[in-house]
Amino acid sequence: MTLEIDASEAVEKSTGGISKKGLSAGSVGLVGAVIIGISCIAPAYTLTGALGPTVAEVGLQLPAIFVAGFIPMLLVALGYRELNNAMPDSGTSFTWATRAFGPWIGWMAGWGLIAATVVVLSNLAGIAVDFFYLMLSQIFGNSAQIAGLAGNPWINVGTCLVFIGAATWISYRDMQTTQKVQYWLVGFQLIVLVGFGIMAFVHIANGSAFDPTPVSLSWFNPVAIGSFSAFAAGLSLSIFIFWGWDVTLTMSEETKGSRSTPGRAATLTVIIVMVLYLFVAVAAISFAGVGGTGVGLGNPEIQGNVFFALAGPALGPFAVLMSIAVLSSSAASLQSTFVSPARTLLAMGHYGALPPAYAKVSPRFFTPGYATIASAIVAAGFYTIMRFVSEDVLWDTITTLGMMICFYYALTAFACVWYFRRQWFATVRNAFFTLTFPLLGGIILTVLFCTTLVDSMDPSYGSGSEIFGLGLVFVLGMAILLIGVVIMVVQSKVRPAFFRGETLSLAAPRFGERDESDE
Amino acid sequence: MKFLVGYTATPAGADALALGVRLARAPGSELEIVLVLDGGERATLTPTDPGNNSLLLEAAEGWLAQALALVPAGFSVRTHLEHADSLTQGLLAAAARLEANLIVVGAATHGLLGRFAIGSVASGLLHSSAIPVALAPEGTRLMNTDEPISRITCAVGTKAGAGGVLTAGILLARTVDAPLRLVSLVAIDRPGADAEAIQLAADHAQAVLDYATEHLMDGLDVTANVASGRSIEQAVRGLHWEPAEVAVVGSSRLAQPHRLFLGSIAAKMLRELPVPLIVVPRDFTATVGE
Repeated sequence: MTLEIDASEAVEKSTGGISKKGLSAGSVGLVGAVIIGISCIAPAYTLTGALGPTVAEVGLQLPAIFVAGFIPMLLVALGYRELNNAMPDSGTSFTWATRAFGPWIGWMAGWGLIAATVVVLSNLAGIAVDFFYLMLSQIFGNSAQIAGLAGNPWINVGTCLVFIGAATWISYRDMQTTQKVQYWLVGFQLIVLVGFGIMAFVHIANGSAFDPTPVSLSWFNPVAIGSFSAFAAGLSLSIFIFWGWDVTLTMSEETKGSRSTPGRAATLTVIIVMVLYLFVAVAAISFAGVGGTGVGLGNPEIQGNVFFALAGPALGPFAVLMSIAVLSSSAASLQSTFVSPARTLLAMGHYGALPPAYAKVSPRFFTPGYATIASAIVAAGFYTIMRFVSEDVLWDTITTLGMMICFYYALTAFACVWYFRRQWFATVRNAFFTLTFPLLGGIILTVLFCTTLVDSMDPSYGSGSEIFGLGLVFVLGMAILLIGVVIMVVQSKVRPAFFRGETLSLAAPRFGERDESDE
Repeated sequence: MKFLVGYTATPAGADALALGVRLARAPGSELEIVLVLDGGERATLTPTDPGNNSLLLEAAEGWLAQALALVPAGFSVRTHLEHADSLTQGLLAAAARLEANLIVVGAATHGLLGRFAIGSVASGLLHSSAIPVALAPEGTRLMNTDEPISRITCAVGTKAGAGGVLTAGILLARTVDAPLRLVSLVAIDRPGADAEAIQLAADHAQAVLDYATEHLMDGLDVTANVASGRSIEQAVRGLHWEPAEVAVVGSSRLAQPHRLFLGSIAAKMLRELPVPLIVVPRDFTATVGE
């Protein structure tokens, strides 16, 4: 027997000794945190997906709605951070809502999160398909035939399934891009987007813009938006463009350096992204206007994927760079987005809210393998059905997505308020961070959710697809939530332990208590 | 001797554990079961999530408990959880810290279209380990762990650098108390040179045998063979292999930092052999008399 000394002591305690060393050691600095934040937001992908539908709702007031959309996002994210500090758990919204409101509401919050991420996965893959063929056509001498392949539903669905399959394989095997690659990808994305904006203004100055529209201060005035419905719809879409930003706030454990690093990273990320969004939005509107023809942002033909149409006219020979930027942005986003539903499903399986197979961790790659594949299959199925049902699959998925994000973010915000109910007035800080901010955010999102739901019953809502005389977006939203309810009821019969609160109980930390966790 | 098993809750991990148990049967041997988890040091696109990590840790504890349950009573066995950026790094770090004498991993093959390929972990270890590495072939787990190692077969080359293999072979034969067979592999691809080559190999085998008998004071059973064939593969196939034996080969004499450490003959043997293979580093030294 050899005697173990010093360095080994911390790791190897006794027979069967398990070390927890190194688990939260993954540390990123300020720049790294900002890069992860921007990468998760994926500005190139987000802008191409969200610009059109948002213009359809609010017209010229696009910049105003982008600024306004950040406010509920910020309010909810602050509550999210409080919960994450008190109960770090891979189930996030699911676990927190269960602790605050019990198994039924918790289950639906988890379902909302999974639905939102699965919907965005299919949209991401859809955008990637469009740009993949656009890029091919740009490389092979602008043949419209190749770019048109994306319009063939069979080729489109086939390519999309290949992309989703590849992303699943990467997630399952946990093959992550290194930080250096990320720096390049994010940097490239930012340069191309800024370049796009500059080129747009150059065209305007030369008089070669498609529909030169002089920049006006009223673009930044949310009051100038015609109706509250339009405002609400625009807002729920612009929440989507900041989705992913909350990641920077919750990296408190991993960031190295001073305690203020996460806060500074989050602030810096949002400033960069906000400036970029406003610049590109203003440039795009000034260049193309909001008219309903050609590359006008109001043209329903191009609204699901505006850079697809704008890249050529604005960037000319460099349009291929835009395709690469959006493709790489979608790829990065696919990677980071895949993790989220898989981890939530893993937690739901772990606590017995879903079959135990979902709790399986791959012994080779240490990823939630079953959950990853399950989300991929659902995302692929969802996209395939949508492609054939909807007139504009990208547009309708983005609108549905906005609604789903409102749903589960609102529940998360209220969970924060209710969970900390006994600590609201413990400190002035608590009064703001566990009561005022999340409550306000939750109320705004609830109003948005309800308004969008009511408005989307109109068959002309979104891209104008309808089922049984009801808007497709409404049908989708309701179907997703109702399927959730059905599965929940079935699970409650098959696996009653979770629904009796035996695996994850209600809790609320008492006044003066530092925090409470599962132990 | 201290045997370190690089365990994963996969068939390959079970293969490694089964071989480790069979090697560590002798009194005084120790078995260290190591499971390597991602250290989280790697910069990734997805931020690490403490909640997810605790679930992972729970799963890992479960896997180690399962591994422990597979080890028969009476063994000196411990389990360890190692955090590292890669499995290879984790195993090497654990081996250094625990002062292990041999690392056992599963050599499950995942080659495309049935072609042979050793796992990335095994090949990573073969590139960088300073101690011998045992590769448990697919299916080792099916053999009864009570089955003692029936023989150690040591492939000794005719070129320089064969000393390490022999040392390791002798050491192992003593530890597991098994007979030692020394083989000299000869490939005859040029007709006409046969007799000369075989004679050379036979002389060499005899010299090695003399050396080995000198050093096996407690009188272990040692035999020496010359195996020839049109190719090394054929020579290996021509030998008789017992199901419960273990082969020992040396690493490439050309092994340099970041260069393939598994020599071409060893690689060919790995492909042909139905038995576990222990690869000994080029500069392996140990006091045979200890």
